[in-house]
Amino acid sequence: MGKVMEKPVDKPDDNSANIRVQQIEQIDTKTLGITWTDGKKSSLDVVMLRRKCPCAACIDEWTHEPRLKPQDVKDSVRPVKVESVGLYALTIHFNDGHRTGIYTFKYLRDLGPLS
Amino acid sequence: MGIIDRITGHLSGKTGAGVANAGSLDEQSVLTALKAVQDPDLHKDIVTLGFVRNLEISGNKVKFEVNLTTPACPVKDKLKRECEEVVLALPGVSQVDVTMTASTRGTLPINTTSPAAAALGQVKNIIAVASGKGGVGKSTTAVNLAWSLAASGSKVGLLDADIYGPSLHLMTNVKEPATASESLVQPPVVNGVKVMSVGMFGNAGKATIMRGPMAAGVIKQFLTQVAWGELDYLVIDYPPGTGDIQLTISQTAPVTGAVIVTTPQEVALIDVRKAINMFQTLKVPVLGVVETMSYFVCDGCEKKHHIFRSGGGSRVAAESGLAFLGEVPMDPALVKASDEGTPFVSGHKDSPVTSAFAAVAGAVAAQVSILHAENQGALQHFSLEWKN
Repeated sequence: MGKVMEKPVDKPDDNSANIRVQQIEQIDTKTLGITWTDGKKSSLDVVMLRRKCPCAACIDEWTHEPRLKPQDVKDSVRPVKVESVGLYALTIHFNDGHRTGIYTFKYLRDLGPLS
Repeated sequence: MGIIDRITGHLSGKTGAGVANAGSLDEQSVLTALKAVQDPDLHKDIVTLGFVRNLEISGNKVKFEVNLTTPACPVKDKLKRECEEVVLALPGVSQVDVTMTASTRGTLPINTTSPAAAALGQVKNIIAVASGKGGVGKSTTAVNLAWSLAASGSKVGLLDADIYGPSLHLMTNVKEPATASESLVQPPVVNGVKVMSVGMFGNAGKATIMRGPMAAGVIKQFLTQVAWGELDYLVIDYPPGTGDIQLTISQTAPVTGAVIVTTPQEVALIDVRKAINMFQTLKVPVLGVVETMSYFVCDGCEKKHHIFRSGGGSRVAAESGLAFLGEVPMDPALVKASDEGTPFVSGHKDSPVTSAFAAVAGAVAAQVSILHAENQGALQHFSLEWKN
């Protein structure tokens, strides 16, 4: 346990540690667009975001295996609201009532291709 | 900014003076000369940074204001001297009148609709004082950091969030808040600093026994139901360690940056690395490391005794790429002041410990200013309504 706890998650020299949101927008009915402070951009499909929800109900806290199956989420799911959490993450209220996922900026940058 | 934008040449003070036509002393030549004065922390000149205000020229007299990013600026005197030198070097100037002012930069990432807005809406910065382990002088540092910042002219608040072992109510002699305006509690003011502590309520000798979620609720109340009012810095004294409660505070309070306190020896540093790592994971910027109990100056021989070895704080800061914010020596008078409930720095103006804390406060304020300069362009908070 001790070794695992001490392993750094973000190395201090890792530049991505300080990257935050510069601009956030709705690109079309199902695409969330984020411009990061390093100038890179992410275009994220909202249905994919719902299926990749990182909350404890959707991902097993101990095994890290998904508990949510892709077919559990309808293709028609859409956000109601996207809001910032602290300085490191955002949360999405979906119209299926789900709103417990905290998407860290690092997680979001890893979810889709950066342009 | 219009005037500044028109200046194309980036000249040093001396050559700037040469460029200005002899006898035609104007705003532009003064600003060009002032571009030679650099802020050593922000790595830009004071004109580009927009620090120069209310420039007035009458005859051979030049008068202006330099508005810094914090009243606790550690290089205030140096900048003032440099400003006077470069302007005096201009032909036709016989007198320079520089006024140093400051307005602390910063806004917290709070939505105006959030319940925290009423309590924290006018607070510019929240500084977390944390440590990897207990007993390193974290609360002593928090108290003296708060009063040192206040001594430089900043508006300061202090919140004791160490809900399992609150001590600030004893260290500051603060009494229970008497008045409440509407639904918000008015924090009592002790020597110019607004103080709230979990220990103000209930029995001092009784242990606080709380499960995580209850503790989170208490912290939330202190952040959302206290009328903090207008503050440059709200200093939060964290409970020691890197557990659930520290995570909760960091997620509840929009912390601007964290100060990590440690003693110099290696066993303390192991926990410091964990604390640094925790804040980095939570994307709370770490402002730097303060070393306490660095040495003891013997009253018989004036020799510095490094009781807990030396250099640990600066070493751990260097290896993590963080700023070393300073070292504070041991002093029995500091312990006495804490026990008696008087912030040491307000009662011992000439002590080296007071200067040490003043240096720490200056370094912390400088790091906050650097952070704001780096974060320009990042959204502090956002809320996007989806349109179908």
